[in-house]
Amino acid sequence: MAKFSLGIDIGGTFTDIVAYDHSAGRQFNRKILTSYDDPSRAVMEGIDALVKSSHLNPKETARVVHATTLFCNALIERRGAKTGLITTEGFGDSLEIARERKYSLYDVKIRKPEPLIPRILRHEATERIAANGAVKTELDIVSVETAAKALVNDGATSIAVVFLHAYSNPIHEKRAIELLADLYPQLSLTASSDVAPEIREYERASTTAANAYIKPLAASYLDSLANKINEKEIDPALHLMISSGGLTNVTEAKRTPVQMLESGPAAGALAGAFFGRDDADGNLLAFDMGGTTAKLSLVDDGEPLTAYSFEAGRQERFVEGSGLPISISTIELIEIGAGGGSIADIDHLGFLKVGPRSSGSEPGPAAYNRGGTEATVTDADFVLGYLNPDYFAGGMLTADKKLAEKALDVIAKKTGMERTEIAWGIHNVVNENMAGAARVHISERGRDPRDFTLLCTGGAGPVHAYYVARKLGLKKIICPSAAGVASALGLLVAPGRVDKVTTVGMQLNNCDLDELEEAFRQMEEEAALVITETGLDPKAIKFQRLADGRFSGQGFDLVVSLPEGPYGGKKGETKRKELLAAFEAEYHKKFSAMPPIVPVDFLNIRISAKALVPDSAVLLKGRQNSSSSAVKGARPAYFPESGEYVTTKVYDRSYLTVGERIKGPAIIEEEGSTFIAGPDATVNVSVTGNLIVTIMD
Amino acid sequence: MTSDNKKFDAVLMEVIWTRLISIVDEAAKAIVRTSFSTLSNEANDFACVLTDSRGFSVAQNSSSIPSFVGALPQTVRHFIDKFGTDNMHAGDILVTNDPWLGTGHLSDVCLIKPIFYADQLIAFSATTSHVPDIGGRLRAIESRQVFEEGLQIPMMKLIRAGETDETLVTLIRQNVRTPDQTIGDIWAQVGANELMARGLLKMLDDYQLNHLNGFADELFERTEKAMRSAIAELPDGTYEFGFKTDGGEEPYFFQIALTVFGEEITADFTGTSPTQPRAVNCVYAYTYAMTAYALKCALLPDTPNNEGMFRPITVTAPEDNLVNTRYPAAVVARSNTGHYVPVLVFGALQKIIPSKVMSGAGSPLWVFTVTGIDDNGKTFANVLFYNGGMGATSSADGESCLSWPSNISSTPIEITERNGPLFCHFKRLNPNSGGLGRHRGGLGQEIMFECTTDRPLTAMFMTERTRFPALGLDGGQEGGIGAVEINGIPTDVSKEHILKNGDQVLLRTPGGGGYGDPELRSKSFIEEDLSQGYSQ
Repeated sequence: MAKFSLGIDIGGTFTDIVAYDHSAGRQFNRKILTSYDDPSRAVMEGIDALVKSSHLNPKETARVVHATTLFCNALIERRGAKTGLITTEGFGDSLEIARERKYSLYDVKIRKPEPLIPRILRHEATERIAANGAVKTELDIVSVETAAKALVNDGATSIAVVFLHAYSNPIHEKRAIELLADLYPQLSLTASSDVAPEIREYERASTTAANAYIKPLAASYLDSLANKINEKEIDPALHLMISSGGLTNVTEAKRTPVQMLESGPAAGALAGAFFGRDDADGNLLAFDMGGTTAKLSLVDDGEPLTAYSFEAGRQERFVEGSGLPISISTIELIEIGAGGGSIADIDHLGFLKVGPRSSGSEPGPAAYNRGGTEATVTDADFVLGYLNPDYFAGGMLTADKKLAEKALDVIAKKTGMERTEIAWGIHNVVNENMAGAARVHISERGRDPRDFTLLCTGGAGPVHAYYVARKLGLKKIICPSAAGVASALGLLVAPGRVDKVTTVGMQLNNCDLDELEEAFRQMEEEAALVITETGLDPKAIKFQRLADGRFSGQGFDLVVSLPEGPYGGKKGETKRKELLAAFEAEYHKKFSAMPPIVPVDFLNIRISAKALVPDSAVLLKGRQNSSSSAVKGARPAYFPESGEYVTTKVYDRSYLTVGERIKGPAIIEEEGSTFIAGPDATVNVSVTGNLIVTIMD
Repeated sequence: MTSDNKKFDAVLMEVIWTRLISIVDEAAKAIVRTSFSTLSNEANDFACVLTDSRGFSVAQNSSSIPSFVGALPQTVRHFIDKFGTDNMHAGDILVTNDPWLGTGHLSDVCLIKPIFYADQLIAFSATTSHVPDIGGRLRAIESRQVFEEGLQIPMMKLIRAGETDETLVTLIRQNVRTPDQTIGDIWAQVGANELMARGLLKMLDDYQLNHLNGFADELFERTEKAMRSAIAELPDGTYEFGFKTDGGEEPYFFQIALTVFGEEITADFTGTSPTQPRAVNCVYAYTYAMTAYALKCALLPDTPNNEGMFRPITVTAPEDNLVNTRYPAAVVARSNTGHYVPVLVFGALQKIIPSKVMSGAGSPLWVFTVTGIDDNGKTFANVLFYNGGMGATSSADGESCLSWPSNISSTPIEITERNGPLFCHFKRLNPNSGGLGRHRGGLGQEIMFECTTDRPLTAMFMTERTRFPALGLDGGQEGGIGAVEINGIPTDVSKEHILKNGDQVLLRTPGGGGYGDPELRSKSFIEEDLSQGYSQ
């Protein structure tokens, strides 16, 4: 029986549905507008339409995977539940005092991000756990009851409990939660030891508050969606993509929805990594440039790198430190204010600045003729001949190049430069912004940019990839088909995944290895339980052990993969050496510096449990033969190497066949994007259908 | 010097500028990753700078704190004067921690690398970083001379054409408590200096340039012009401001006369107290940095720090002054006085550009240092930072508990309790500590620690505004004063204290000053403050 998998990705503007037929290796896509009042409505309509148009039988669905940006948007727009907080007596303000650091040095009117829970909804309970986990003051039940009563009276529907050192001993948090559940069964409850059992009270409180804040919303939405899907005779349980790029089930997602905050971007990053996998010789720098932002991420051996915290709801979108810290595992992405809609202007020093201000989709670039008059990156790309005004977004939109020229002429006049110089200048400046961000990010990871292959996606990514690669000294670019990556296909290749963390604070040279082993074991068992509950075979689980280590006295933790256990027992001392060697090797690799001769501390330890999902094999296939030539014409395009417009061949990507080879300069158009191959590029069509671009010096 | 005959238009300026910032930021990330000092890696108490061949600042890493604004390029110029460029060679790394040539105290070690392109010296990369230990007394405010404060490294070559001066390294190692970490941090800086040199040479190749001065001159000219026209918009005149601070036995006086004349501005600190026989003296470079910082906040917050910005700014102070101290004064706690400088500048500017400044903040930074022997018999030192409230502005309340003008996080309580025998009873906002006004000052906080060991601990304090509060502006009232109490009794913070098991230390950081007449505060804000408990 033919079986297919269903992927559902709800974004800010569009909801994408993809069905992948495993036996035929075919995929079917559907894109519809997101329905804000009830997001599941658009999903159901999309599924209906897709089933109908592709003649699929819902009963043959093997799996359903869902990603969404809804929770993240609810947090940014502050549309979550009225949430209360109960903390250890004396620490109710920790959420508001935060780290005491400015994200902007020169702004005297700086505002910290507003805490999700205002002071009036923060109460304190009498209890105290010491740093070593010992109970210093017993939990006073009455103080919890009093706090809860006040919160319920004030209308709170969700309560977060954050006690000091609960990562070390959660007994009081557990008891408080049990008590609250008994007293107020209708309340949503979140304990910090459950969501982010890590040392540092502010970051833990911030994560816990975020979870509590979106929990009621997540519960009702996920239940409703799961029900509606089941009503369609789609039997498999709904799986959700979490920020780390793993999958979880509805029960787990409802318990810790904070894990789903970066669900949407994670799906995008996974899709990118998947499309690049077969054609990459090494590691990928994934570069996704859309209308308002560009996202950069690093992919090692087919897997996007993981970060262990991120910021949500920033005061200033592109400024680090201006958001609410969320301590969960997430696919590492950096976002910069550079997209097709980024606006160009001359600043007070007479420099040409591009972005982060953006014209967005409304009014959009000047060329769209929808009210935008300021010059944008897209306008520059029209003037340079890179984009085709008659075939923009696959002909769905028309653009007026004259309007783009007019917008650019305003800047040309301010600077006394030629229109073409300005157009190339905008293209060049936005590329330098992205290359600069990539360079700093790669340096943060202790790598060399030249070791990477550039993977370009998004509407504007392929237009800018060539000259971004040149700036970074990269020799190879992979460009997947835009339609494929934009689909929710990335969801279908994700493994089941659970990440756990706990604070141990051990010194490696003298800690009890049996104790360390026990701590890892416990996390692995908990993770295995969750994965099993999602319907996967526990035998298929692969565990990865990691530690946040540092040389004693350093203030920066390095997350390091550790050798396999068990660590304790007779061979303990050999293992101790292996653990130290693993840490030193990673230190050397990241910092290209010899490790100093001081003991190593493990502050937190982590595990990542992954299990491949059956039926998750998706094949990429390029077109084998074509009835007609892919060349659809030629137009003048500007290349700085020539210093002038040169007549450049234009190809229709949908007619390119596997093995075809194109010498740059060339323009390769498809619905949704255009790849610009510069003069030193050679483009090959891979068996996967990807364009493989080699840059010669 | 050869010329490139390049036309530095709007585009070329921007792409080179973006590249240079990414080069200095990349070097900064490398320091954060590899340094031991939490001051470097958590508090960004370091700087990475590229100068042109004349030692003029071209680009500085984006997150470096105000104390370094313009300071490091002066260090480069001191080296040029001392050694002469003819005696600098490829592969050299120059070093000093002289407070008067560098950034104001011995803990900041400055490294300078001359960068050559086709045998021509074309630029310098410079770094400074707060090393974990430099010897001497631990954060002792009682030091009377710099000799008590640690090892002094005069202007020397740490690396001579690729050869490390092992004698110097041995000498440093022997003089500091944490030789591996201190030297480790210096190597982290060397790595950052190299990284900047490599990045700069690649940039020159990419844009077919053979030196940096052409770009630099264009950048300075444009920035200077912007700064000059910002100053020109201010009415000419001399604007004065002054206040008293906690001081030692007697309060100190701080006084500024800010003179705007056409396109130039002069800050004169005559009237400020003289140099003190305590470690609170501030070198000229630090005073200059803090003045430039405040002017930039008020006039051109978005303009990059470079030589052009500094040209229209003059800073003068009498010799042997608290804010222009002479060798061999003690300087380690220079933030106790230097952090008042931007407050003075704002107070003077308020008279002409009230919407651009802030009332007095609950700064300088508070530092609580606890040392002792831990349960394993090892010596430990726990250095804890806390901040007060920001001042209010003409349009908004001040933020509570935020580091200013510096930018240092407080250590999480859970980390503090794990690292030493201290138990925290509370860390909470201090209601009513925000100065009243049409806009209220930010709140300070109160923190109480208890000593939990039978081995006595030594406690030291660097605290300010425990006698004289942060002032309000334009009719705004003063912020709440700070306090340090041990077992409920106000403490003499100028002295070390021994803590016994069970002793309780209360730290109450100051609130920020209010802005504008409190009578004009909107009712809804007053009600909101009452309902949230920010005021009672």
